[in-house]
Formats: sequence, structure tokens, C-alpha cells
Amino acid sequence: MRAVSTRAGASAGRRSLAVSQRPRRPGPPGTAAVPPVRGSRPPRTRRLGGPGRLLWLLLLAAFAAFFLIPVVWLLLAPTKTDSALVHASPFAFGSAHNLGTAWHDLVTFENGALLTWLRNSAVYAFGALVITLVTSIPAGYGLALTEFRGRKLLLAVTLLVMIMPASALVLPLFLEVNAVHLVGSVWSVILPMSFFPFGVYLAYIYFSSHIPRDLLAAARLDGCSEWGVFWRVAVPLARPVVALVAFFSFVANWNNFFLPFVMLPSSGKYPIQVGLENLLSSTPSFNPAAGAGLDVTRPELALAILIAIAPVLIVFLFSQRALVSGMLAGATKE
Amino acid sequence: MTERQTGARRRGRLLAGAGALAALALTLAACGKADSTTSAGSSASPSFTAAAQNSSAPLTVWVDSTRLPGVQAYQKAHPRVKLNIVTYNGDANGSNYLQTKVELYNRAGSGWPDVVFTENVNDLTWATEPGIDFAAPLSKGYVAASTLSGFATNALAPCSYGGSVYCLRNDLAQNVVWYNKKLLTRFGYQVPTTWQQYEALGKKVAAQHPGYIVGTVGDAWAPEVYFWASQCPANQVTPPSTLTADTASPDCTRMASLLDTLVKDKAVSTDTVFSADFAKNTASKVLMLVGPSWYGQTLFHAAFKTPAGEIAAAPPLSWAGDSRTYTGDVGGGAWIVSAHSKNLKGAAALATWMATSPAYQATAGTYPAYKAAAAAWLTNQTRTGYFANDVTPAFTKAAGMVWPGWSATKFSQEAIWASTVVPALDQGKTITSMLGSWQSAIKNQAQALGYTVK
Amino acid sequence: MAADLPAARRAPLRRRRAAVDGARGGNGSRGGHPARATLRARHGYAFVAAYLVLLLAFGVLPTGYAIYLSLTNSAGQLVGLGNFTAAAADFRFLPAFAHIGVYLVIWLVALVAGVVGLALLLHGRMRRTTATLRFLYYLPGALAGVASVLVWLFMLDPTVSPVGGPLKSLGYTTFAQVIEPSHLPVVLAVIAFWTGAGGWIVIMYGALNNIPGDLIEAARIDGAGPLQVARRIQVPMLRKWIAYMVILAFATGSQLFVEPQIVGEASLGAISNSWSPNQLAYLFAFQANNFHSAAALSVDLLVLGLICAAIIVTRSGLFDLE
Repeated sequence: MRAVSTRAGASAGRRSLAVSQRPRRPGPPGTAAVPPVRGSRPPRTRRLGGPGRLLWLLLLAAFAAFFLIPVVWLLLAPTKTDSALVHASPFAFGSAHNLGTAWHDLVTFENGALLTWLRNSAVYAFGALVITLVTSIPAGYGLALTEFRGRKLLLAVTLLVMIMPASALVLPLFLEVNAVHLVGSVWSVILPMSFFPFGVYLAYIYFSSHIPRDLLAAARLDGCSEWGVFWRVAVPLARPVVALVAFFSFVANWNNFFLPFVMLPSSGKYPIQVGLENLLSSTPSFNPAAGAGLDVTRPELALAILIAIAPVLIVFLFSQRALVSGMLAGATKE
Repeated sequence: MTERQTGARRRGRLLAGAGALAALALTLAACGKADSTTSAGSSASPSFTAAAQNSSAPLTVWVDSTRLPGVQAYQKAHPRVKLNIVTYNGDANGSNYLQTKVELYNRAGSGWPDVVFTENVNDLTWATEPGIDFAAPLSKGYVAASTLSGFATNALAPCSYGGSVYCLRNDLAQNVVWYNKKLLTRFGYQVPTTWQQYEALGKKVAAQHPGYIVGTVGDAWAPEVYFWASQCPANQVTPPSTLTADTASPDCTRMASLLDTLVKDKAVSTDTVFSADFAKNTASKVLMLVGPSWYGQTLFHAAFKTPAGEIAAAPPLSWAGDSRTYTGDVGGGAWIVSAHSKNLKGAAALATWMATSPAYQATAGTYPAYKAAAAAWLTNQTRTGYFANDVTPAFTKAAGMVWPGWSATKFSQEAIWASTVVPALDQGKTITSMLGSWQSAIKNQAQALGYTVK
Repeated sequence: MAADLPAARRAPLRRRRAAVDGARGGNGSRGGHPARATLRARHGYAFVAAYLVLLLAFGVLPTGYAIYLSLTNSAGQLVGLGNFTAAAADFRFLPAFAHIGVYLVIWLVALVAGVVGLALLLHGRMRRTTATLRFLYYLPGALAGVASVLVWLFMLDPTVSPVGGPLKSLGYTTFAQVIEPSHLPVVLAVIAFWTGAGGWIVIMYGALNNIPGDLIEAARIDGAGPLQVARRIQVPMLRKWIAYMVILAFATGSQLFVEPQIVGEASLGAISNSWSPNQLAYLFAFQANNFHSAAALSVDLLVLGLICAAIIVTRSGLFDLE
């Protein structure tokens, strides 16, 4: 890294000099280790010049359109009838009446199965989430900030298991769960889901990149036990990654189709994803053999999908601030 | 670096090397041969020994959402029977769900349902396979022979293996000629009775009323509509596991060239009836479609919203010069009783009721395979008043005309057609030119699943 | 690091550093304290113990069993590489890997460039707008698997799609033309990006937020433009995150399953259900009842992913401690 500093500027200049002399490794320089009692400011938002700003806005807007157009379509779909979906404009708004019909058809499908599925999903997702947090955050901390024999082996094995194709694990997992007579119970889904190596890696990378060891060392020297160091120093600083792991674990659990598909024989225990697949198979346009007489058509399916994704989006909204907050206490970054 | 550390490193490397060597040795050691998929080639018939029976054991029933009301009606009519009703996707659309679960249960040794409804009659090919042994032989005392003979001709063919019957057919999707009577009369045409007349009609329509179609060939089930009816030997299984796929046979080429002529004239569409494009642009221009019995309600009524009094059905077309007329069959569901059930009698009773009772089948959405129930169903259809004519003669004739030479297979003919031939058609190729590729695709799929291919 | 503190504070810090170095027990320090090191190691185990149980039960054991399956036949005998050759001899094996090869190139480039680029663009200005945009970019990620079949059935069909206009102007007037075999890698990459980018953008954005603002401020004072700040400071400091993302993107890309299934279902079978190797493995297991070939094919995919991971781990120092 070429020396960035040429101008003086007292501490600022020396700081940047120190940075440029460091070997190229990610990680905060020592300054960040000092708690910001001196009130470090977040970087000034740099004003872009006119054409630059326009380009920036256009680029971001273009991507927003890319991500959003299908979602807007999905939002409008339940307000139309099935034939209007095909014949009318994709962005047309149908009527609130259609929305009501779609809702009614949906909640009466299989005698109210939709609500059961949603409840099941919530139980599985939160149940596994709790276990995941309790196991993954300490594990990430341990891997990043302590040393023990087999640390690298553990990281490697975790990575290996993450890369193994899930379809190969179906049979062994099923046999395992069956051996402890858990097949069909909620634990057959919650326990495997709470194994979340992705989250362990997130925690590991976060702890190893953004928590200064000197801080922990200082806490140890001040008499904290290892657990105290973790609980009192590391975890408060780790709010972003706790929120991150919680969020991604929740979403992965909520969206997990294959595990419940394999483990649960009873439709009363299905989560919403498996239920949606049931619904899809009952839609004549996807499955002609479903036969006439069922009220489930594509607008109902669209409404079901919107209901299925709503919890994920709500959780995302609530965790936005925690997800991206900086680690510096007192910083006003979002 | 300390000496201890270099020593540790060296030891680590040694260990890793030893480990790698061991892994290599394990990998290359061979004490046996890898499994080949010979399971389809076994000539043994499926083995069946009934488990310990308990006539009041509860029954676990797996149905799709369409048949759910029927099972609930059974429960109401038989309150003493303990039913545990589970809904699943019906194994539709090549979903493979049932086979997945049964294979897992087989390995675990427990968990099978007692009665299963499947929309895919091909499921019986693996359910009766020695080694999987899922379906129970109903003809061995669990369903009366008189009941079994009450099904339409050849309806139980996909259920029959080694002389026993392993499932009860729920519905038939026999192919008939659907036409828009109003349009046909307005254009001044006659309903064709032979394929040759159909071709001539198609050419006339293309010339006089371009835009109107008399058939579709882009559906996944198109071979079951056209080639099955033509007795094309593209899907013929000689038990136990020899497959004949000869698309160069004259029975195949005659249908291929007929379709090519009509496709070229745009009288037959290369699209599928369920595409959004078709619904938007072509649904109102359907003069005629050769298709399964469920086209009437599911396609014309529910999907296209064709007004009542316009759609009529005619009996299947024959090839002038052929001694017998045959038609094809697009699917149809089946009821399977698990060989592991602890209450075979109860399970068989449920399956029989669902498949044969007019109380349920008369109001079902699909044409029942059981003749007595079918009669009730047809009376009901006339009462609804949707069709422009009485569909009874067309449906009953067709139900008895299904050609037995097109077999149920472990692979899906529909998937092959949809992924091999239809994309080629969309690129402008003719069916005749694709017959060779179609045959290779069938043979490849068959061999991968253990068939011996002739 | 110590240089910027007033001199009076430096002495105690030096003493603390010595103790810390000693306690660290090893890494180029002046002789470790074995007792301290053991203490640290024991506590290290305590932190990972619960996770270790889950890892063994739901990771190592099933993976081991799958590898065992790939080396044996149904009678339990070792068959060497027999299952691997049997899987490779299947007529769908090579086409599946050809498909996935093309797909991977498009997917990796699009994901890394798109995610890092968008995260950088969003960072550092107009906080409220970017928060909203982050949420909007993430929205599609909530539409997993089954949920998106319906969406893509309509999006990809020019006659009813909201983007029908642009599709038609590209010359595609029918659904069949859009999902022509030669277009599939691009179509599937677009779908995968649409679903997957939002989550990684959130992660990268959070990672960017943890780069000390002083650093960027200093660089700006020294005259670095936004591009230079990105290249010289932000991207290098994101190195571990990007490495992780590439490893996972390669693995999930080579193990593509959901997207071809979805488009296959939406197109009512126009795409073969063995388009990708992972789909083929699933067919081996549950259609042909041959778990051994399925395991062998899965091990093939695992090895591919591991090779990529090994390369990236060693080059980016993902496992290193700071």
C-alpha cells in the first residue's frame, strides 16, 4: 500500500502514516482499540458532484427496479382474477373484492391448513434460532479469539460440511433421526436446523476482523474470567453479528423446504414452505390432474406466497438497525 | 519458530501424508462391484408377506387436496373406522415424493402409510419392484374379483404385475375428440371420424380460417394423445424389464407426418394449452382438440372459460384401414395399499370405496375408471348442462378403446417429450426429423433405470 | 499504534503488551507461557463444545456416512472407485457438468462484482435512502424455492411479463425462446442473483460499516477519490468476507438445484430434470434407488468445492488469526 500521507496534520497525518506502514492485512489498527472517549466522528458524508450523483442514483434505481418489479407484480396479483393475470396488464390493480375472494379461498383450503403451517414454521424457526445463537456465537468467538489445538481443523471441517451437497445428507440424517425415534416430531426438524455452520463462520469472521485482541487482553488482565471476557466485552461489541446470525438463521429455517419435506410425514406439522408446495400441486394450471372444483388458482397462490414471506420481511425490518450498526459504541451509523 | 513447533509441523505433515495414503488405499480397494441398476431386470415377482394384522388398527391415508373431501366423506360414513388423514402433493408433476418417502421408510423399517392416492400411475412400476415391495397385491383376497372385473377394459393394466393386481385405478383420462360445436357449425364443417379426415379438416381450417387450431402438440402428454392412439411402439415394456422403443415403425411415422403437415399449416399449435401465451391468444380460437376426458371441465370450463353449450365431445378417431380403433390415456390416478399395513382389510375397504363408490366418484372431477361409478358420473355431467352434447357415448366408447401396448414405465415419457422434442419444435424442426432423437432419449432414460432396451 | 498516545500513557501500555504477547504463547513472541496457553486452550474448547456436538451429529456423521456410501455397494462391500465410474458413465453426467461450468462463470462474476459494487455504492451516503434500498434489494431473497415458481413463470413469459417489452425488444416473443437451452445459464444466473444478492449485500454493508471511519476520513483528507478509497482501503479490508462469499458462491453455484427445478416446474417440463449435477444426484438416489451413485456424485461436487475453498483459504488467509 503506497503511503497515502504526504500532508501533515498532526495526529491525522501520523495515523495515516501508521496505516500505510502496516503490512497489508485486514483488521483495525490500534487506534480503533481505544474506546472513543474522544468522540470520533463518523466520516463526513461526501457530497458528489452533479453528474456523479445522478449516475449513482440511476445505477441504484436500475438495480432497485430489477429487484422490485417481480415483487410488485406479486403484490398486485391477488387483486386480479386468474384470467386477468393473463389478459390484463401486469401492473394493473384488480379489485379489493378479488383480494377478499383470494383470502377466503386460501384460509378455507384444506380446512384452514394455511394458519397451521404458519404456526409450525414459527415454532421451528424460532426454536432452531435460539439453539443456533447459543451455540454459534460462542463457537465463532472461540474460533476467532482463542487458541486451541484443532482450531484450524474445526474451521476446515465446518467448511467441508457446508460444502457437502445436501441431497447426499438426506438419507444419513433420516436414518440418524430415526435411530433416536424422533422422526415425525418437531425435534426432527429443529435439531438439524439449529446446526448452522454459515452462522459460525459469520461470527468467526466478525470476531477475528473487528474485535481487537488487545481489548480482550486488557479485560483479562483486569481480572475477568474467560467467560467474563466473552460475555462482558465481546458480546456487547458483537451486536451486529448476533443480529446477522439471528436473521440469517431465521430466514434459512423459515425457508427450509427439504428437511421438513423428508422428516415430517404428517401434513399437520408441515411448515409453510412444504405447505406451499402442496398448494402449488393443487393449482390446476401447474398440475392439470388437480382437477376442477378446487378454488386454488394463481391469485390464491400469489397471496399465499406473500403471506409466507411476510414474517421474513418483518424480521428484516426490525433487525435492520442492529444488522448494520458499527461496532463503535456511540457511533451513529445505521 | 521454536524447535517444538518445527517438530510439530513435521509430525503434522507425516500424519497428513499417512492419512492421505490410507484414504487412497481405501478408495482403490475393491472387494465387490458397484451396484448396477439391475433392479428392473429381476424376474422375481414382488415378495409379499402380510404383517401381523389387527382389524381395528388406525389407518394412515395419504391423499392430495382434490381427494381429501372424498376421504372425509368416507370417515363420516364409517365413524367407527379410525383414520389419520394426511394431505400431500399427490406425487404430481414428476415430484417423486412418494418414492422418496417409501425408500426412506424402507431403510428405517417403519413409517409407511396404509393407503396412498397417487396421481401418477407409473408409480406402480417401482412400488411393485422386488426390493422396494411397497404395494400390496389386492387380488390376493383383499378386493373381490367381481369388483376388479368391474373396471373399464385395460384400466387395471398399469396395476397388474406377475398376475396380481396391485392398485385400484381411480380415474381414466381417456382421449376423445373435443370440439367447439358452435364454431364447427358456423364454419360448416363435419366432425371427423378418422385421422385422415382430421388431417383434411385441419388443412381446410388453415386455408379458410387461419388462426384457428385443431390440436396442440407442445403439451407434455402429446405422445399419449397422438402416438398412443396410433399404436406407435415407442413405450412398450415386455415384462419383466425389456423396453421396445421403435419410433421408425410405420405406426409412428404415419402420425408424425400427419402432425408435421398440420403444424406446418399452423392448424396444430406447438404450444401447450396451459401456457399463458395460449390462454391469452389462442384459447378463443380453439376449434378442436384431441385430448383427455378432463379437458372438458378443467381446461375449457375452468381455464379458458368457454361459455356453456359450446363444447362437445366425439368418440376417438380411427385410422381408415385399421381393423380396430384405439385411443390413448393421459394419466389417471391410483389407490395403493401398503404391503406393510397392519390392517389390510380396512385399508383395502377404504381404497375400494374411494375408487368404486358412486357416492364419491359421481361428483369427482375426473371420469371414474370403475364402470358403475362412471355411469353415475356421466349422468351427473349431463345434469350440469355445460356441454353442448351428451358426452356419454364418446366417453364410454373411448374408455374401452385404450391401447394396451403403451406401458407404464419407471421414467416419464412426458418429461422426455417436453424436454427433447418440444424445444426442437419451437425451433422449427419437424417431428419426423426428431423421431430418432426421441427414440435415443427414451432408450437412454430406460437404460439408466435398468431396462434392457430393444 | 502506540505512537499516537501522549508519552505519559505509553509505559503502562508497553507492559500490558508484553504480558499479552507472553500470554499469547507462541506467535513470534519471546517464549510462551505453557500454563497460560493450556488455560486458554481449555476455555477455547468450552466455547466450541456445544457447537461441536451439533457439528458431529448433523455434519460429520452424515457426511462420513455419505462418503462411506460412495465407496461401497448395497451389500456393504468396498468397491473402490466403482460408484464414481458408474455415475460418470451415465449419459446425463457430462452434459450436467457442462451446463454448470458455463453457469458458474457467469454466476461468480455477477455475484462478486454486483454485491461488492452495490454494497460500496450504498455505503457512506444518504443513510435513510440506502437503508430503504437495502431492504428493497433484500426483498427477493425472502422468496425461496417454491414461492418463486409462480413469479418466474410469469416473468419469463414475454406475453404476460412486466418486462415483456424489453424481452420482446431483445427478440424473444415466446416463453420457449426465453428458456432455450443456450440461454439457460444466463437465465438461471439472473434468477440466482435476484434471490441471493440481497443477503450478501447486507453482510458486505455491515462489514463495510466496521471499517473505522477515521481511516476513510484520513484517506479522503489525503485526496483519495471514492474509487481509490474503495480499491485501497475498503476492498482489502473486506478480504475475509469476500473470500467467504466466493467459497460459498462457488459451492452453491456448482451445487445448483433449486433454480433449474423451479424453471423446470414453471415451464411444465421444458427443462430436463437432470440439468445440473445435483439434480442428477437426487435422481440417482430417489428415482433409481441407487444411493451409492448419488453419494459418489455428491462427493464429486464436494471435492470441487473443497478445491476452490482450499485455494481461496490459503490465498486470502481466511483461517489466520490477527
